[in-house]
Amino acid sequence: MSRVPLPPVDAVVKNTACEYCSVGCGYKTYTWPLGREGGLAAEENAIGRDFPLGGGGGWPSALMHNVVRVDGELRNVLVLPDPDATVVNPGGDHSVRGGGLASRLYNPDSPTRDRLTQPQVRINGELVAIGWDAAIDIVAEVSAHVIATRGPLAWGMKRPSYGGHENAYVQTKLAWKAIGSPNHAAHHAPAAGDDAPGLTDAGIDAFSACYADDKAADVLLIVGTEPYENKTVRFVDWMAAGGATMIHIDPRTTFTSNFAKKNGGMHLPVQIGTDVALLGAIARYIIEQGWHDADFVRDYTADPSQIALEGSWRKRRFGLSYSQLVTELTSEVAFSLDGASQVTGIPVADIIRCAELLSGPLEPNAPRKKVCIYFEKGIMWSHNHEGTGALANLALLLGSVGRPGRAISRLGGHQRGGQTAGGYPLSASPHSFEGHNVPMDQDRWTVAGNTHFMWVIGTNWIGCSSGSGVLRDKLVSMTQASPHQPTSTNTAAIIATLKARVDAGGMVMVNQELYANETTALCDLVLPASGWGERTFARHNAERRLRLYERFCDPPGEAREDWVIVADVARRMGFEGFDWPDGNAVLEEAAEASRGKRLDFSTLVIGAQVKGLTSYELLRSYGTTGIQTPVDLLDGQLVSTERLHADLKFKGDSGKANFVKTSWTVVEQRYNALAPRGDQLWVTNMRVNHLWNNLSDSLRRPDAVARWPANCLQLNPEDAQRLGIASGDQLRIENSSLIDHLGNTRTGSFEAVAYVTDEVPPGLTCAYFLYPGSMPNSVVPADTTLQANNLRYNCKLGRGSITRLGRSPLADTMPFIPRNIV
Amino acid sequence: MAKRFSRRQFLKFSAVGLGSTMLVQCADYDPSVGPTELKPGDVVPCARTWVSQLQDLVVGQPVDFGYPLPTLPAFAVKLGEPAAGGIGPDGDVVAFSYLCTHMGCPILGGYNHEHKILGPCRCHFTTFSMRHRGQVVLGQATADLPQITLEVEGDDVLATGITGVIFGELSQRCSPAAGGTSA
Ligand code: SF4
Ligand code: FES
Repeated sequence: MSRVPLPPVDAVVKNTACEYCSVGCGYKTYTWPLGREGGLAAEENAIGRDFPLGGGGGWPSALMHNVVRVDGELRNVLVLPDPDATVVNPGGDHSVRGGGLASRLYNPDSPTRDRLTQPQVRINGELVAIGWDAAIDIVAEVSAHVIATRGPLAWGMKRPSYGGHENAYVQTKLAWKAIGSPNHAAHHAPAAGDDAPGLTDAGIDAFSACYADDKAADVLLIVGTEPYENKTVRFVDWMAAGGATMIHIDPRTTFTSNFAKKNGGMHLPVQIGTDVALLGAIARYIIEQGWHDADFVRDYTADPSQIALEGSWRKRRFGLSYSQLVTELTSEVAFSLDGASQVTGIPVADIIRCAELLSGPLEPNAPRKKVCIYFEKGIMWSHNHEGTGALANLALLLGSVGRPGRAISRLGGHQRGGQTAGGYPLSASPHSFEGHNVPMDQDRWTVAGNTHFMWVIGTNWIGCSSGSGVLRDKLVSMTQASPHQPTSTNTAAIIATLKARVDAGGMVMVNQELYANETTALCDLVLPASGWGERTFARHNAERRLRLYERFCDPPGEAREDWVIVADVARRMGFEGFDWPDGNAVLEEAAEASRGKRLDFSTLVIGAQVKGLTSYELLRSYGTTGIQTPVDLLDGQLVSTERLHADLKFKGDSGKANFVKTSWTVVEQRYNALAPRGDQLWVTNMRVNHLWNNLSDSLRRPDAVARWPANCLQLNPEDAQRLGIASGDQLRIENSSLIDHLGNTRTGSFEAVAYVTDEVPPGLTCAYFLYPGSMPNSVVPADTTLQANNLRYNCKLGRGSITRLGRSPLADTMPFIPRNIV
Repeated sequence: MAKRFSRRQFLKFSAVGLGSTMLVQCADYDPSVGPTELKPGDVVPCARTWVSQLQDLVVGQPVDFGYPLPTLPAFAVKLGEPAAGGIGPDGDVVAFSYLCTHMGCPILGGYNHEHKILGPCRCHFTTFSMRHRGQVVLGQATADLPQITLEVEGDDVLATGITGVIFGELSQRCSPAAGGTSA
């Protein structure tokens, strides 16, 4: 149709929040019968606005409309950023991603027509439809066989941590508690465990801030992340709107860098992978000048004897008192102004100016500057422990925690929908650091041939894994290349064949997804899952705001909720405690596991019971505003916790925070091992604002495909000239010194279209991080023993040689305009 | 694919650079089962409006006018580089609505000649490419900036129609008051 219809006043209105980034903007959905329309006057339509709209929120662009089925009937649907929102996205602001949510809904008359709609099994190499019953039988029987013959470690699960608490809870209840397998990781990492271990070791929660802090701050220190591209509404409506001075530390000169510079702040284009030296030097200079918050340090950080008594080995091993931090910072040349300047490429004067902006000389009795420190994957996916530790140190020196406008937090990638059942079987992990078990690296385990069953849920495992090609080759050898391939649709025969494959050392893979991806191509069984809008679930955003994401349309075909599928398998395997009538019952059980943590919604569940409501009903009544966890009870009312650590108590036995050991010497060894050799350049990766994660939705949106018809490789004009490359050239990026999961040297490569831009400095190239068929992770080191205390990939630190293959057919249509113009 | 337009009227559009573009006429509301979809390049004719003398257009200097209504801000500019939908001897004269397709802020005075973009919009920083039919380069809008089709008649540059939906509207149409010349 060529006109966006307005919802009539009696349209069904539901609350939800965006499916995509961590910001979690509030949305309303309107569904109503085809052939009817609301009128142009505010009182004649359910949006309550006059049309044509003069400006502001509430305008449905063409991408916000679709036609779906509701209880089997065709219905118009509008997915509209909530024009009446007062939190998160006030007035209905939205990014380009969220604005297109309606286009992701299943409609066989649109590019979503290839949704997975029925369970399928691979017979003679082709996927063939089977019934749910048979599918559940196969998963359950093969699982039981793998566990019985090869042990729980041979049985793995890879799953998203953002699919809603109900899904995460049931998945981990089966994997951890029922089966007891540590062969388990979320979509973004090869192992379970902490993404910001430096903060945890310091006693600080990684999501303690609220968006109001962005506005209340005088200075925002933004490190290793590009918030306009991918925390868009938070950047615009909170960070920029508050007028704080921004300092952007990032190797790339992005929109945020130039925005900071233009508005009285600065950009420190640190040499990639050297942030720890820069942050250490800033901290040391602040201490030397006496600009740190000495009262805060005295009152709220631990002394050596308190650290020695901590129950956590990590705190004892990595914790430092203030005086130990001073010793540490002064003992390494890289933390001196000159040393850091040499390592990071940042002039001494800029390091000093940065320190001044953060805490510089103040007039007597003037209040301290309020500083918020925000970071994300640039730190977490490079030198994970030392980088997050260095940021925690700076935050404690500045007193930037737990107070309005003074906080340190991750900005987050996706939203937080990962409440687990707890009880990760750490003692069963085969991987350790200095005698302490750490959550196992399931990719290393798999590449070594030890995984015989893998259940991949809602993620492209291959693309997400560093050394993507190495993992794929191993998976092919253990699945497709096995002589044991089902040849008939007889369930018993399929099960017997797959068991024989496992007995012969092979592997069985199950993929539960919305759309087929690279990993699906290797799977024996494909299970169709329902997605956002097709199921009701609860999830948090990056300021711990819990909301109900209501179902407003039908899932396609036989697709089912992830947790329902997992619970079916668990029951078929004979496990007890997997009978829930609905998602609300799962959420209410999961509340217990959330108790005492940042996502704590146990009080909400009790509050609902007192009111005689289900938790879903109570949460629904909070609309797109939701409630910030931990939920508290004050004078008989359920109230939000705006920010964590407001009581200035920290995680750990002493209740005090501590500084964290972040040795540059340790980082330098890793840096040297990963640095480009010969004609190689650094290959890092980014997000761009039109695209979301593995593009399962983006590739089905016309505007996103038009903007990014292929992956690009950003190259500095200097490098491009030397290599004879122009924007629009097809490039091959090859790393012939790829360190694989087992520490061996391999070769990995991908192709992309050249995008010549000063967004990257000479020596550094950058591609979109998860573009189907063009995976930068192919040239990224996969050996997690490089960061042995917390098994995380160095995804940001790839390297490769660049070869020009010719002119891309897209050269004349794809815009290569710089994206950092302010 | 469901029917999206009742193509009662196919007219060849003769302007340089738009040779393959079809003029379409908007249908009445059609409860087909496809999502709302507007094909880039579909043009709705609106009142023919004088914009400038061709010879008066200076590279890089936008000329403001009202379109498709006199009250709706729009501009024409000679980019100095060929552009999709560009007219004139160099195929480099284009015109666009100033109304940002994100939340409707007018990006008045926002033409950046170095990069041939409009923006960043002062409201939420969206930028649009003037060489690529108003495509979003970076930012928040979910629709291209509506391009205004131009024709050269003698030495006059005339605005003749629009592609895309002007912010606040629900369909491709020219005038809220008149309901559009084509609706
Ligand atoms: S900023 Fe994030 S949460 Fe908000 S609309 Fe965009 S993708 Fe969705
Ligand atoms: S109105 Fe222009 S970017 Fe929002």
